[in-house]
Amino acid sequence: MSKVTKGWDDEEVLAALQQALRAQRAVPPEFIEAGKNAFAWHNIDAELAQLTYDSTLDSARELSLRAEAASIRALTFTSAHLTIELEVAQDSLLGQIIPAQPATIRIQPREDAEITLTTDEIGCFSIQPIPAGQFRLHCRTAAGVDALTGWITL
Amino acid sequence: MRDDPSVIALVARVGDGDQEAWDELVERYAPLVWSICVRYRLSRQDIDDVGQSVWLLLIEQIGKLREPAALPGWLATTTRRECLRVLRAGRRYDHEGLPPDDQMPPDPSATMIEQEVIVAERNAALRAAFAELPQPCRELLSLLMSDPAPAYAEISARLGMAIGSIGPTRARCLDRLRRSPHLVAVLDDQAGDGIEVDDIEIKEPRGEQGD
Repeated sequence: MSKVTKGWDDEEVLAALQQALRAQRAVPPEFIEAGKNAFAWHNIDAELAQLTYDSTLDSARELSLRAEAASIRALTFTSAHLTIELEVAQDSLLGQIIPAQPATIRIQPREDAEITLTTDEIGCFSIQPIPAGQFRLHCRTAAGVDALTGWITL
Repeated sequence: MRDDPSVIALVARVGDGDQEAWDELVERYAPLVWSICVRYRLSRQDIDDVGQSVWLLLIEQIGKLREPAALPGWLATTTRRECLRVLRAGRRYDHEGLPPDDQMPPDPSATMIEQEVIVAERNAALRAAFAELPQPCRELLSLLMSDPAPAYAEISARLGMAIGSIGPTRARCLDRLRRSPHLVAVLDDQAGDGIEVDDIEIKEPRGEQGD
């Protein structure tokens, strides 16, 4: 028995190694890839706006609404200083910044060039057409607060 | 748990903008994040959401981590909080009146998280140690760990190794693995009375480690 590792005999160390490699194989490669991609955020000076509500995950809402109304998707992203509310309308994506204030919105599609637009006085905006692939929103208020959502797929 | 110097070095390199170090960090800890999500029985979509938030929060805060060695604990706590967040975003727990996460009392899952951190650190150390073994050792051990394990005759044929030397080589390779600095850093204070590798259930606190 090695002095360094006390109780580990050959069978134990082999079983432990087997478990360690199995735990690694259990993780899908895309999950790891997505983690590596997060490096793109290095040195970006913006607050992360996290998904705090998604109507498709709200089972109570689905039950309470009739089928045709339930298809309208609503999402809420919250950062330390800003909330971004999104609603998927028929041919556009409607949004509002809370607290209500003017802001610049940059739509950053993963595979495409970014688009910049400006909200109205109370922070409302409309994105047309609805982004097809993954995208994120970078919001900068007139007061200089920056918030960036995670990747969104509608 | 003793500080793992390789983690401290990785964190410092990420702070300097080293993408390779970040990739290594993600590979090392993805199993930890994943296993905690699985414990919360999240859907695959929710797990991806949690993963995204955890890595983004880490890259955002890695420069501010005062104790790089505490990274595994930070990751586990953050993952747990994010799991509760996505569960709450779905309002699935509304009727159960789950309190805001900063007011969450210590619950059994906190113990589970600690256990996951210990197991994940041990696993990461084992993988790092294994990756540094000489190629013939890795080949032999991989074969011995495959399920079902091949007979010695087959191993002998595949590796071009005399049957009689498989046993001694196995012992030498495992000894080399055991002596790896990666394992010494992580295992020294875990291995006091042997480790039950298949048992990651919540256990009674261990008693004094006397000889």
